[in-house]
Order: sequence, then structure tokens, then C-alpha cells
Amino acid sequence: MFLSLLVAQVLILNHVHFLGVGTPLLYVYFAITFRRNFPKWLVLVSCFLLGLFIDIFSNTPGLASSVMTIAGLAQCYLMNLIAPRDSAEDLAASIKTLGFSKFATLSAIITGLYCVLFFALEAFNFFDILMWLARSFVSTVLTMVLILAIESVRSR
Amino acid sequence: MRNLLDFLYKYHHWLVFILLEVVSVVLLFQYNSYQGSVWFSSASAVAGKVYELESKMTAYLSMAKENEELTMRNIYQERQLDQLRRLYAEATKDTTAAELKELEFLSQYKLIPAKVVENSIHKAENLITIDKGRKDGVEPDMGVACGNGVVGVVYLVSDHYSVVISALNAASSRISCAIRGRGYFGYLHWYGGDPSVAYVEDVPRHAKFKLGEWMVTSGFSSIFPSGVQVGKIEQAYNSSDGLSYKLKVRLSTDFGNVRDVVVISDKSIAERAALMQAARDSISFKQRQ
Repeated sequence: MFLSLLVAQVLILNHVHFLGVGTPLLYVYFAITFRRNFPKWLVLVSCFLLGLFIDIFSNTPGLASSVMTIAGLAQCYLMNLIAPRDSAEDLAASIKTLGFSKFATLSAIITGLYCVLFFALEAFNFFDILMWLARSFVSTVLTMVLILAIESVRSR
Repeated sequence: MRNLLDFLYKYHHWLVFILLEVVSVVLLFQYNSYQGSVWFSSASAVAGKVYELESKMTAYLSMAKENEELTMRNIYQERQLDQLRRLYAEATKDTTAAELKELEFLSQYKLIPAKVVENSIHKAENLITIDKGRKDGVEPDMGVACGNGVVGVVYLVSDHYSVVISALNAASSRISCAIRGRGYFGYLHWYGGDPSVAYVEDVPRHAKFKLGEWMVTSGFSSIFPSGVQVGKIEQAYNSSDGLSYKLKVRLSTDFGNVRDVVVISDKSIAERAALMQAARDSISFKQRQ
């Protein structure tokens, strides 16, 4: 999963610029699917590493890694909020286990948070609020479409 | 003490989180300074190799178009050269001297051909990775051009790959350029957005030029030799302080489609840099006295 997301992002998705503003950041899917009660430090470290590798390939050191770490942390807490109380302790987030609406909410929150922070940091010394919002929004939508498509195939 | 340990154990993931964020932020800011690490960029060996494979696969698709462009430009320049030779010969009645001078001028520069392995045009700060590095004679601060015009300036160098600051880099790219045949100069600056349009700033108010004239590199920056094509002047504006012109330039390089580039290594740069340093030293020495 780690490798396939990395390769897909670097070789294909980084070249997608929908309407010149949106780039699908599919690798955030990696952060969404961790099991509940998975050691938190391991979630953080693996998210950080995936972000770091993405950074190395796209010449943005620290950008994806910092935001991926935040996404990993957010996932740990959101999982506990969203998953039903009586569900299994090691529940992994997917359409199958959470149901469509809950999974969609979870991934929408994480993806949205990720894109907003990512493009804010990327545009650090070049700030244009409309462009920032447009890029975050379009990228979130694109990423969500991809995540839900992959997830619905996997849950069959 | 026990409480502290318990506390640390309970919230150790927060510590990990803070540690990782600090590492990221250090990376994020350190890279902006000039001594960024080659290891965390696409000039690192593994990333470079992957991109090289990818670009080899896609290179064939765009070759026909690029060939066509280069041929057109070649023909155009041959005709121009021919005409200039004739004019020079008419003016001086001497053909051998002209050829000698030409050879002398050309031998001053060493051109290192390279292939673009990774490129972007949609970010605010675009960087290009090429497949030549220190072992091929590439050094930071060398100019990079393609058949149609300027591309950028070498920024980081590893043994076999280099990262080039594209002219389409809103934060760091300032290429000194001049109006061809007139000499007035300014700095090329790109503001993001359209990858085929950039602006030349600080052109003096008394400069005379026509729309549609060519901007070329000025040769003042000691990165590019003079006369490398930049683009055509499309519109002229007043700068915000009203003291200079700002020219809108249609770039002649198609950044979305650069494959073959040359790194320009100017042997006289080291000499000029040494001279400049000597001048600075003598000024500071005088001030101290």
C-alpha cells in the first residue's frame, strides 16, 4: 500500500492539474485506513515517512511530511469519534466496516484538512486567498472521488 | 517523577508528533536557504533514476514536435549568420578575421548537453531536474538553456543529477535580460499562473523599444552569456512606483515541453567572480582605514 500509493502519486497523479488548480493527493488515503487502537506513534511515523518520500520526489522537503503527520494524528482521534462504540477494538476504516456515510465523512474531514493545510504551506510566500481556496477545494473533491472509487472496489 | 513518567507514557504519541513536525518544519525552511540538502530533493540518486526512466518513456512522444521546432530555428539562425557574415565582410573587407573572432567567442563557453528528467509548470516555485551532475562538470549557478531560449539556473548538484530553478519560479528566479540591439536591461520575474508569460522589471523610463522586439539575456549576471533568447515584448506597463517600465514578455521557451537542454559553463565566470571579490575586498579595506 505504501509503495503503490507512492508510485501512483509520483508518476501519475502529480502530473494531473485539473483546470490548472486541482491535483489529487491520493496518498492521504494511507492515513485514513489505519486500524483503531493501532499504536499512535507508529501511525505518525509511517505517515511522516510516506510524506517524506513524496517530498523527495516532488522537491518539497517537509511539506507533505508535516501535513501527513497532522493527518495521521487527526485520524487517530476521528476514528474514535466516528466509529460506533460497540464495534471491534481493531476496526479498520473502510466502507464495509463503517458504512458509506460514516466512511465518507471521515475521509472528507481528513482529506479536506490535508488539502487546506498542504496548499496553505505550499503557498507560504506567495499568498493568494482565492487561489488557495480553489486549489484546496478542487483537490479535495478529486481526492475524495478517487478514494471512494478505490474503496468501493475494495469493499466488494 | 513517577507521575511524570506516567504522563510521558500516556502521551508519548504527542511527543512523537511534535518531534516529527519539528523535523518537517526544519526541512521546509532549510531548503529555502541556498545550502539545501541534495538528499531530500529529486537530485538524489534513487528519485533521479526513477524520473529518468519515466522521462525516457515519454520522451519519444514529444520528439517530433521538438525536432521540428529545432530545425526551424536552425534554419533561421543559419540565414541570420550568413547575413551577418556578409555585412561584416562588407564593412571590414576581411573575412578570415571574422571567423577567427567567432571561434574565439564560442570557445569561451562550454556547453554540456543534458536531458530534463523531471519538470513542473503549475506550482508557484517550479524546479527542473536534469540528468547531468557534478561528474559531468555541472556546478551551481550555471545557466541552462534549450533550443528556444532560457530555461533556468542550476541550484543543487549531486554526482549525476542537478536541480535547476526554472525561470518559472516566482520566489527565486531573477534572470538579467536586455532588449536585443538596444541594451536597456531589467530582471525577468514570473508571478505564477500562465507558464508562457513573464515580466521584465526595472527597465528605465527613458528606454526606447517597440512592442514585438526580442528580450535576450544581458550577460551581466555572469550566469548566461549575452544574447540567449528570452521572449518577445508583448505589452509595456508603468511600474507601481512610476520610476520604471514593466514589460510583459511572451516567453520563447515552451516550459511544458522542454526535453533537451544545455548547461552553459562560462570559463570567464570564475575570473569575473574573482575580480569582483578583489574589488569588494579593496573597498572594505579602504573603509577600514
